[in-house]
Amino acid sequence: MEEKVLVQRSQEGNEEAFAVLVNKYKTKVFNLAFSFTRNRDTADDLAQEVFLKAYLSLSKFQLKSEFGTWLYRITVNHTKDYLRKKIKMKEIHLDDLAVSQQEERLVKEKKEDEEQKRKILYRILDQLPEKYRLILILRDIQGFSYEDLAKILKISPGTVDSRLHRARKMLRQKIMPFLERRHP
Amino acid sequence: MICKKVEKLLSGYFDGILEPEEKEKLETHVESCSLCQEKRREYQIMLEILRKEEFPEPKPYFWERLQQKLKEKEKYLPLTLGKRWSTRAIPVSLIILLLLTAALLIFLPEKKVELSQTEVLLLRNLNPLPETNTLLEEANIENKNMMLIFTSMEEENSERR
Repeated sequence: MEEKVLVQRSQEGNEEAFAVLVNKYKTKVFNLAFSFTRNRDTADDLAQEVFLKAYLSLSKFQLKSEFGTWLYRITVNHTKDYLRKKIKMKEIHLDDLAVSQQEERLVKEKKEDEEQKRKILYRILDQLPEKYRLILILRDIQGFSYEDLAKILKISPGTVDSRLHRARKMLRQKIMPFLERRHP
Repeated sequence: MICKKVEKLLSGYFDGILEPEEKEKLETHVESCSLCQEKRREYQIMLEILRKEEFPEPKPYFWERLQQKLKEKEKYLPLTLGKRWSTRAIPVSLIILLLLTAALLIFLPEKKVELSQTEVLLLRNLNPLPETNTLLEEANIENKNMMLIFTSMEEENSERR
């Protein structure tokens, strides 16, 4: 069945049609939430809340845009809200998020250990301004196209390009000390 | 090509969105510049780590769990057309009422304000007393009464109007 028909039927309250949409998008929504939280339980809870929110807002969805894009936008906004609340509750300070010297030494000692590098990279990613972290996750981890990024983030393709460049530059500069140098 | 421009282009280079000419210029420069070679390598490693991310699966019975939550929230089910109208009825009625009021104000004919003789004189910045004086000073009692009657009738008429 065509996606538009499924959405229309879901809007009329047909649960079976909505179940088909959920099965189609659950992995992508879950992965997106996981990229931000890196916790399976939290990502699963967030994905459930996203679909619940989407179902309750279906009447607002206009069939002019793509259902997937609309759903990803809800996921991004919902996850952002969750992270903001979490940071407020725990009163996390930037110092707490900073990469410790011990970790730095550890990575330098185990340069081949990709998992360690990944952990460090994610901690650095967490310290980037929200708009840069967001675009890096969507593009480089989730693999969304420039066109999709523009739609999800509601920005122009030109802004996608420049923001992505700034975000990657910032991340590269911060992660540089941890990467193996060919020419020391 | 300058090194500063290379960094900007590297982002597009790894996304494969550079024009062939631009890509060639970039590659030529990078081959001859060790600093830019290092930058390119750093980008490559960084993007490889990010793009190799492995994801776990969502927890089992995803739909069944969601279905249960949907049932709990049944009262918030998508609004039917009738309900949708009822939520919009109040603002729509208010707008119609405002438009009607505006139309009435615009299209109703203006009332002509009739002024009494005294008011006319006052508006013309003239003293109404001399006229009254002539009326009061009338020697003939009959004329005086008639003049008073006409004046009072005139006042009444202007008030009614």
